[in-house]
Amino acid sequence: MTAVTGVPAPVAGTPATGAARQVGRRLRTRPAALVSAAVLLLLILLAAAAPLLAALTGQDPYAYHDDLVDSARGGVPYGAFGGASADHWLGVEPGTGRDLFVRLLYGARVSLLVAVGATALQVLIGLFVGLAAGLGNRWVDGLLGRITDVLVALPMLVLAIALTAVVPRGFPRPLLLILVIGFLGWAGTSRIVRAQTLALKNLDFVAAARLSGAGRWRTARRELLPSLAAPVLTYAAILLPANIVVEASLSFLGVGVTPPTPSWGQMLSTAQTWFRADPAYVLLPAGFLFVTVLAFTVLGDAVRTALDPREASRLRVGTAKETAR
Amino acid sequence: MTRYLLRRLAGAALVLLALSVLVYALFYVLPGDPARLACGERCNPAQIAQVRAQLGLEEGAFTQYLHFLQGIVAGRSYSTGTELVRCDAPCLGLSYQTDQQVTALILERLPATASLALGALVVWLLVGVGTGLLSALRRGGPTERILTAVTLAGTGTPVFILGLLLLMLVCAHLQWLPFPTYVPLGEDPEQWAWNMLLPWLTLGLFESAKYARLTRSSVLETLAEDHIRTFRAYGAAERTLVTRHALRGAVPPVLAVSAVDLGSMFGGALLTESLFGIPGLGRTLIEGVRRIDLPVVVGVTLVMGVFVVLAGVLADLLHAAADRRVVLA
Amino acid sequence: MRPSSALSRRLAAAATGLVLTTGLAACAGPQEAGDKAGSAANTDTAPRKGGTLTVLNNEAQSDFDPARLYTSGGGNVPSLVFRTLTTRNREAGAAGTEVVPDLATDTGRPNKDATEWTYTLKDGLKYEDGTPITSADVKYGIERSFAAELSGGAPYLRDWLIGGDTYQGPYKDPKGLASIVTPDPRTIVFKLRKPEGEFPFVATQTQFAPVPKAKDTGAKYEEHPVSSGPYKVVRNENDGERLVLERNEHWDPKTDEERKAYPDRIDVRSGLDEAVINQRLATSAGADSAAVTTDTNLGPAELAQIGSDKALAARVGTGHFGFTNYLAFNPEVKPFDNPKVRQAISYAINRTSVVNAAGGSALAEPATTFLPEKKAFGFEPYDHFPAGKTGDPAKAKQLLKEAGHPDGLKITLLHSTAQNRATSPEIATAVQEALAKAGITVELDGQEPNSFNEKRWSVKDAPGFFLSRWGADWPAGSAFLAPIFDGRQIVADGSNYNHAQLNDPAVNKEIDEISKLTDLKAAASRWGALDKKIGEQALDVPLFHPVYKRLVGKDVKNVVISDWTGVLDISQVAVK
Repeated sequence: MTAVTGVPAPVAGTPATGAARQVGRRLRTRPAALVSAAVLLLLILLAAAAPLLAALTGQDPYAYHDDLVDSARGGVPYGAFGGASADHWLGVEPGTGRDLFVRLLYGARVSLLVAVGATALQVLIGLFVGLAAGLGNRWVDGLLGRITDVLVALPMLVLAIALTAVVPRGFPRPLLLILVIGFLGWAGTSRIVRAQTLALKNLDFVAAARLSGAGRWRTARRELLPSLAAPVLTYAAILLPANIVVEASLSFLGVGVTPPTPSWGQMLSTAQTWFRADPAYVLLPAGFLFVTVLAFTVLGDAVRTALDPREASRLRVGTAKETAR
Repeated sequence: MTRYLLRRLAGAALVLLALSVLVYALFYVLPGDPARLACGERCNPAQIAQVRAQLGLEEGAFTQYLHFLQGIVAGRSYSTGTELVRCDAPCLGLSYQTDQQVTALILERLPATASLALGALVVWLLVGVGTGLLSALRRGGPTERILTAVTLAGTGTPVFILGLLLLMLVCAHLQWLPFPTYVPLGEDPEQWAWNMLLPWLTLGLFESAKYARLTRSSVLETLAEDHIRTFRAYGAAERTLVTRHALRGAVPPVLAVSAVDLGSMFGGALLTESLFGIPGLGRTLIEGVRRIDLPVVVGVTLVMGVFVVLAGVLADLLHAAADRRVVLA
Repeated sequence: MRPSSALSRRLAAAATGLVLTTGLAACAGPQEAGDKAGSAANTDTAPRKGGTLTVLNNEAQSDFDPARLYTSGGGNVPSLVFRTLTTRNREAGAAGTEVVPDLATDTGRPNKDATEWTYTLKDGLKYEDGTPITSADVKYGIERSFAAELSGGAPYLRDWLIGGDTYQGPYKDPKGLASIVTPDPRTIVFKLRKPEGEFPFVATQTQFAPVPKAKDTGAKYEEHPVSSGPYKVVRNENDGERLVLERNEHWDPKTDEERKAYPDRIDVRSGLDEAVINQRLATSAGADSAAVTTDTNLGPAELAQIGSDKALAARVGTGHFGFTNYLAFNPEVKPFDNPKVRQAISYAINRTSVVNAAGGSALAEPATTFLPEKKAFGFEPYDHFPAGKTGDPAKAKQLLKEAGHPDGLKITLLHSTAQNRATSPEIATAVQEALAKAGITVELDGQEPNSFNEKRWSVKDAPGFFLSRWGADWPAGSAFLAPIFDGRQIVADGSNYNHAQLNDPAVNKEIDEISKLTDLKAAASRWGALDKKIGEQALDVPLFHPVYKRLVGKDVKNVVISDWTGVLDISQVAVK
């Protein structure tokens, strides 16, 4: 049996502490990486400080402003640029007149939380399953491979609706989304990890560790994990923005966050038909999403290159779930 | 080789069995009563009970599942109330909501989904590999930055917006193409292609960023390898190096990932199919879920399972063919 | 597309509380005469025969069996193929709410107490194969609709005909229903359990279409039902997703004053995304210039976009269908047992926000009465708990205090996750926001459409407070008030629409009294008065009546929109 994805050449393991400093140094020399990191940091800060900024603008993400939308014309905001004004910096939402700036910030909280949470879950499960498959015997490997197949083929929409029906109403919806997206989306990671593990397993330093009496999991932790960090991190950088799009798609299909909570996905899904009548309403969440995707990709690339001085990212990419298509 | 295929076949059976059990289990927590929905809004309890009996929903979940397996292996007979319908093996059952045979329904819908998936594959291979290659060659330059941004914009825009934008631009504003209406390939190949063009572009562009990055990294990786450096040192033209050697390095991973994507796409690309009115499996699935139509949902999921497994095997084979070091165990 | 709205046709029909099988709902064309009369697209040139009319739809015409269709007045596309004993008057505006004869020579002759209705078939009626239509075929068609295998139709015949509650349909019980008598091939008599003055309205539904017993293929009949109307089915693919109708040569226009049947061919293409349908109609290129839709309304974004475009605006048809969206209370659940709590909520509601959430003032009209604002329903204006345009939180707070909740109230509102701008999250959030101003904290409980419907229609599990809606099965007060407020229509173990579970002997008695009237005008004013009276109890908060706006292609002529369906009548449309 072979890996589904290409087997990257193994990377020599570096002692953890020295590596971090080295990576940091390399990153600092790359302006694109720095800008990306700064953008992401800013986004996270904005999201974290959403209540503060809301107080600053004097706007509440849930407050309606019926007077700011033209009821006779489908509720399109009065004025140019989606009703942007001194009070409403980025305009207001059609139909409700809710402040878009504040909603985008609050939306960032949910979207980033879901994306980061789901990605973390995907990486964790993927690492575990991939390592187990790579280190285990043929039967373990085969079984885990088939489990992966099952999860690739399981429709996300079915699971999402079923889960929303079972969990109690008080259960936080972002957490549910994290579970659904995370649980069904780890196949790519596990395949990369497995392939990498298979390639590394027989290398000298790993074999030496095994011979010196270290247990399987100890070997995995001490010797393999550092070498896996590079490809997994890079892959995570692609997974993360993809997960934001999955959240948008689930929202569009009616199983996203519960209203009135905003998320970028929820905003995009309600904005779908508005791009001619009120372009700002579509462009704002789409723009935020795009900047996030771009920043994560560039940063991911840079981290990958920095982690692996031997040039070139050996990026291996998995599949998006059908729900996003 | 034979042993490998036998093992994969056994594995596939296991995957399909697990999938069907999972979907059956999930179905029982799905809200809503299929009999009530099938009967109609203002049915009285007696009518609902009759419909429930007719759908076989009065039996226990386990019995229902056994009947389902029996149908796949040996076929079954169904009563629609007014007549007896024979459903030959592999019988995936009758739709709760439309009384159609699910096997026939899937066969009817598969060509549309296959058309979409295969066409999108061509687009993402052309666009993804093309931009990946270009950005590897112009690494660090403005071309790479622009290409990266463009492909990422495609990926970062949900299909329901990307597709509608394309429709508005191409069909409404510029009127280069009429609004797509699905025409089966067998009916009129030319019309089929014209009408599938936008769906292919939408889905292909949505997927292409991934392939661009995959190609780019593979190409860069190969170019950094020792033997290429040696060639370069001997004065080989960069263009030749790239097309002869580096691109070859990108083939296996791109094909492998494509095969997997293609496999899962056979379960339907539901947003694209819905937006463009393509009568494919993705729409069948979403309708099945919404109408609590268990046989339809199980059927489509199994088809997706079959293609995911097939794609996996295909990927293994392609990988082995491209790389002699890989052995099929 | 917006998949959430791509529910099954049955689900759609279920959710609307009426009949949105592709049949009914269609709307495009001029504004009706009663309203600021608009001019239809190209009404200046006289409509002519010929051409192909394309219908771009979201929902497939899956159940094309007259027994299974749930329509108001026989539907839109179905009415091209199925003729019924009576039908709706195909005229614009209020005139369109009248019942007129179709297969029958008149709208029915009642006995003295309206418990027996007699119809005589016109002369020279034929099916698509040239065989004559008999009264026995009409009887058989109705009997089929009692079979559980062909379920889906309206419940009225089961409730009204003697023995209808136990009859199982002709497949299980070939003897038939004794309460439908056919003394000769042209006469049919219906014997009812109690007086039903509005029987002629029910006789417009597709169950009253003739079905030749020899051609009945049971559950498969929907693939090719035998036509009695101007068109016959020549193609029916993908379970009704593509339906092609062509002229039925045996249909005699002399026997049919209602259907104009201008186009030679009607091509129904379904399974399309709603945003795409509207975009195609707006662009109106190629075959789409002769296209209409019978199920897709313009949304707020599209309306905003059309706003400035005069040419496009001229192609928008506006109509009103008897429909009310409301907040329902279940007084069996605390604190909604307290009338003051219900009144407080009535005062607190901000109808401007709600209307905006429903698409703005062009797509929704604020409602303070349960009955729609049309004469046919007997509309009588009232506003017992005036909330003004944006709500009266002060008055609401005062009432809450009187009700023993001086510190406000915490309640849960059930709504659906369907994106229908009716029971959807947008409306629920607008309600939540308005009630917050009155100190009422609303927690939202959004449910997937199937479970939402099952919950709100259940006597046992219905929550205390939820979004609901009701559409008229025919344009009269009874179709609106009886299912919602008649205590004997509380359905313990089926779908219950009497959300308030009101069982008031005085109300029940008045409903019986009005049902005896065959003078529909007299009945209408009594329905209006009854609505006003029931309204005092604050058993619901009427929110808005939707307005239907739909586009037609630029070559579409003779758009007629009645107050019965609120949408363009496809039998009147011409493309030449």
